[in-house]
Amino acid sequence: MDVTSRTVFLNIIRFFFLILLQVLILNHINLGGYINPYFYIFFILLLPFNTPRWLLLISAFFLGMGIDLFTNTPGLNAAASVLTAFARPFIISIISSGPESLIGDTPSLKNQGLKWFLNYSISLVLVHHFTLFYLEIFRFDEFFQTLLRVILSSIFTMLLILISEYLMYPKTK
Amino acid sequence: MRNLFEFLRKHYFYFLFLLLESFSLFLLVGYNEFQRSSLYSTSYILSGSVNNLFSGISEYFSLRKTNKVLIEELAQLHSRLPEAFYKTDTTSYYQKDSIISLEYKYISAKVISNSTNKRNNFLMINKGKLHGVQNHMGVIIGNKIVGQVVSVSNHFSWIMSMLNKDSRISGKFKKNNQLVNIEWNGGNYRKGQVKEIPKHIAMLKGDTIITSGNSDIFPEGLMIGTISDFTITQDENFNNGTLLFSTDFNSLGYVEVVIDILRKEKEELKASFK
Repeated sequence: MDVTSRTVFLNIIRFFFLILLQVLILNHINLGGYINPYFYIFFILLLPFNTPRWLLLISAFFLGMGIDLFTNTPGLNAAASVLTAFARPFIISIISSGPESLIGDTPSLKNQGLKWFLNYSISLVLVHHFTLFYLEIFRFDEFFQTLLRVILSSIFTMLLILISEYLMYPKTK
Repeated sequence: MRNLFEFLRKHYFYFLFLLLESFSLFLLVGYNEFQRSSLYSTSYILSGSVNNLFSGISEYFSLRKTNKVLIEELAQLHSRLPEAFYKTDTTSYYQKDSIISLEYKYISAKVISNSTNKRNNFLMINKGKLHGVQNHMGVIIGNKIVGQVVSVSNHFSWIMSMLNKDSRISGKFKKNNQLVNIEWNGGNYRKGQVKEIPKHIAMLKGDTIITSGNSDIFPEGLMIGTISDFTITQDENFNNGTLLFSTDFNSLGYVEVVIDILRKEKEELKASFK
């Protein structure tokens, strides 16, 4: 298999794996009553840099709909994922100082370094969680309580992302 | 015209984004219960069978707890049998009266997906239209309430848990039958809010709140919870309180759907008056 088709295959597997992981295991986790990780957007984070932009949006849409199918919230996760995918190119261009910082095919802790990767993933996770939690309650009278949920859940999601980054690329010295 | 195409091509990323985003929001907002149940009943076949498979495995881990719940309930039922009563004379009372007939039936069902960590929580159970489940039926566990059916497919049903911003249960104090409303404000899944407690009622911690039977969803007298805290508000007429739910929403294994046999009659009576 050449490099491109291997990447495509890997991403398709990751797509289904993350949906199942989210709906079967992560959705049942709740720390402190109501903190919930939404790790499935790791898929959007890991798409290669040269992914066509239309594919970015379309795959994010189906990723979100896949989650919605199981939680009976049509459009909720889809809206949050599409917005995250839309924000991705802009966030990459804001946090990258030049094209030289985009080493390798896909964004990763190993290629771009800790600072870049943290900026990148925290921004996208926040975009996603903000949209998701505020759309879910769809009113502002529980504003601060929801904000707390956004922040705590983002921390939880970020932990999972960092752990899997370290597992995928163990430090080689 | 060519310029238009050129413009669309150049900015397609924005247009595609707007299209997908507005479609998602349309699904989220513009979707009414009817469309939801018709479209989603098809998708239940997929999500239902995946959930079914998974809960079939995880079921084994909660067998001990399930047994305990069943035994407790069995003990309660035993205590209602005629043998459990002390008989003072030898004649027994036999009731044969067409006025007193069965009002509620129960269908047992297995919970195959559940959550307590969202602002709006739902459960899925493995019984549906084919087993007699319909919309707006109540769901209970033992003598404690769980939620109500909001969407049904042939084999599965979708239950709105009490842990939902749209859930509002009509309850009453067991000691004096005063009516109150029970809601859930998010956060801790063990604690609910008691709204509209009349000022003149003297509350005590530990007071029991049961279902009022006014809503046509739950029979009267099911446990909702006990008062754990209350606040005297500035409001002229009502106080608020916090209650500890009797139901442990995080460990629901098997539940029962309540079928109100006389529901149609009640609804017709109400409709005739409007």
